[in-house]
Amino acid sequence: MKQNEMLAMILAGGRGSRLLALTDKVAKPAVSYGGKYRIVDFPLSNCANSGVDVVGVLTQYESVLLNSYVAKGGLWGLDTKDSGVFVLTPREKADAGLDVYRGTADAITQNIDFIDTYDPKYLLVLSGDHIYKMNYDKMLQVHKAQGAAATIAVMPVSLEEATRFGIMITDENDRIIDFEEKPAHPRSTLASMGIYIFDWKKLRKILVEDKDDPNSAHDFGKTIIPTLLNGGEKLVAWRFEGYWKDVGTIDSLWEANMDLLTDNNDLQLDDPTWKIYTEDATVLPAFIGPNAEVDTAYITQGASVEGTVKHSVIFTGAVIEEGAKVIDSVLMPGVTVKAGAVVTRALVADGVTIGEGAVVGSADSKAITLQAQDV
Amino acid sequence: MAKAFGIITSSVDQKVEGLQEYRPIGAISFMGRYRVIDFPISNLSNSGIINIQVYISSKPRSLAAHIGTGRHYNINSKRGRIQLLFPTEQKLNAVYNTNINALYENMDYIKMQHQEYVVIVPSCMIFTQDLNELLQDHAASGADITVLYHKVTDAKEGYSTCNEIALDGNRVKSITPFLEDTETENISMETYVMKKDLLLKLIADAKATSSMYTLANIINAETDKLDIRAVEHKGVFAPLTSLDSYFKASMAMLDKACAADLFSPDWPIYTRTSDSAPTRYLAGSCVKNSYISNGAVIEGTVENSIIARGVKIGKGAVVKNSIVMAYDTVGEGAVLDGQVVDKYATIRPGTKVVAPAGQVGYIRHSDVL
Repeated sequence: MKQNEMLAMILAGGRGSRLLALTDKVAKPAVSYGGKYRIVDFPLSNCANSGVDVVGVLTQYESVLLNSYVAKGGLWGLDTKDSGVFVLTPREKADAGLDVYRGTADAITQNIDFIDTYDPKYLLVLSGDHIYKMNYDKMLQVHKAQGAAATIAVMPVSLEEATRFGIMITDENDRIIDFEEKPAHPRSTLASMGIYIFDWKKLRKILVEDKDDPNSAHDFGKTIIPTLLNGGEKLVAWRFEGYWKDVGTIDSLWEANMDLLTDNNDLQLDDPTWKIYTEDATVLPAFIGPNAEVDTAYITQGASVEGTVKHSVIFTGAVIEEGAKVIDSVLMPGVTVKAGAVVTRALVADGVTIGEGAVVGSADSKAITLQAQDV
Repeated sequence: MAKAFGIITSSVDQKVEGLQEYRPIGAISFMGRYRVIDFPISNLSNSGIINIQVYISSKPRSLAAHIGTGRHYNINSKRGRIQLLFPTEQKLNAVYNTNINALYENMDYIKMQHQEYVVIVPSCMIFTQDLNELLQDHAASGADITVLYHKVTDAKEGYSTCNEIALDGNRVKSITPFLEDTETENISMETYVMKKDLLLKLIADAKATSSMYTLANIINAETDKLDIRAVEHKGVFAPLTSLDSYFKASMAMLDKACAADLFSPDWPIYTRTSDSAPTRYLAGSCVKNSYISNGAVIEGTVENSIIARGVKIGKGAVVKNSIVMAYDTVGEGAVLDGQVVDKYATIRPGTKVVAPAGQVGYIRHSDVL
């Protein structure tokens, strides 16, 4: 396939500190989700499925695992002659010292040389920590038809939620006339999803100008979008319908997993025409033991269930021994729940062992218990 | 990297009724996500033997698609390779379709291999074996040929198309078709180590002797001239010689110790992923003592069964003692017991298919019942 006209850059440098111990050692995009996936599989698979062949992944925080993971472009089929996934970390340059990425826009600015080697017409900027399925090509068609300088994917949220997002105020043709970052009194309920398509030449010019501005936040939401708007450029909102989740907290990560238990959930991970690709584990299918009880569960290969699982999501290689109970919980890869232990309304981090008879979480607790250490 | 290349022979005599009409034995699904050929290829790959020839004598589509470039078998695509070879199937008379004939037709491609030794393994037997260890021991022993065998004590069933080995110490006296004469037999695992040049000579000699000669026949004919030694294999060994033996080998894996022996973490069995989502167990489902692959949706009851990828088991359906292959649909209230259901089949709501005790039923590919 000949190199296409749109190149993608995935912003994957954030820590996701509200995920607490889960992101102590790995960046948020590398956090496990949905039994067998990592969060970053979603934008990468969306790129592959949308025909976006070249993807740069901008990493920074605790990126050893993330870098080695996304470098395996073949996992998403992005390893053909003209496709690839490229890890882009901050680096020392001849004309500038070693500097961390100072903001989302600066991460792109520091890699203008990379983007220029492909000379794309359009640049797709994505976040590495959202769970959703989106056809970026559809968005590009709208961007082209509208002749926009930038197109921003938006989705309607409740008025209450609108206070947590960047909000787009649009005219009847979806042209963005104003933009507010986390407004106390929202004038619209169209929230930015942090997914942008830019005309690369126009964006490049603004990035170069912004680079040495000492007062700039070097951020897409705070700097680049307002600059484009003030410059009279045409910005368009593209409405997305479907499942989209920014799993910022333990509660929301737990909830996003629980969403998979509802029948006909919007994410539809088993849609054969839009698969989410991930690293395949060399493991047996899930084993459900002779005395197991499984009721409403999402269980992946390599798991072994000999106890009780109710309304829970069980990841690769998790072991639930006979007599153990897992209720309303998420067991991440390699978790062991020993005989007689009870796990309720909890999210158990990768590789943790819940010892014999231990009790984790409670049906009455409002917040979800994060269990990140052996108990 | 080992100083041997690998040859995986195609099955000729074995007949896994039903399933084999659609694909060679190597391409038959095992444990819901593997195919039989994953075992010989993983054994070779884990042994550092990454230059592999796979002989496919009939219906190559599914096997060729599954093996592909071989990357998923951990084979470096620059330093190693998997070569698929397609000997011509003789339609006039099946007696010509021997493994020797397949090798003979491709002798040029055997000569071309740079490695001094060859390790030959069958595509229709399930077992794990460190083949590099076998190769090292063979080279150190000074023997001409090393043969792997498995001692069985239940030699009444399931070995009908196998060969048995008569031994004098570890020396092979003969390799002859299996006879149900004693309970204990040394079953040949059709796994041989020898120098490439000797294999080429044996192929030529066999061809000159009889067009019906198999590799086992010609080696048997050489037992008084060559130093042929046998090495005993320990662990799970399942030759797939019939639908019944396939069913039993699959069901044996429901025993945890048996599965742990065949699927050891330090001897991974690789396969091609289908990128299916995890399996959904809906409210009201009841699953006991079963292996469940990804991509399935289970609303009914499953007991003592193996469920492959993308299977749908409807509300109130009962699946017992069965192997349900990929993308099958078992409708609401349907009952299956003692069945091997080939891929893409549909069991309509309320249908009952129960095999008599001790027997196995086969439901055809893409069939609707």
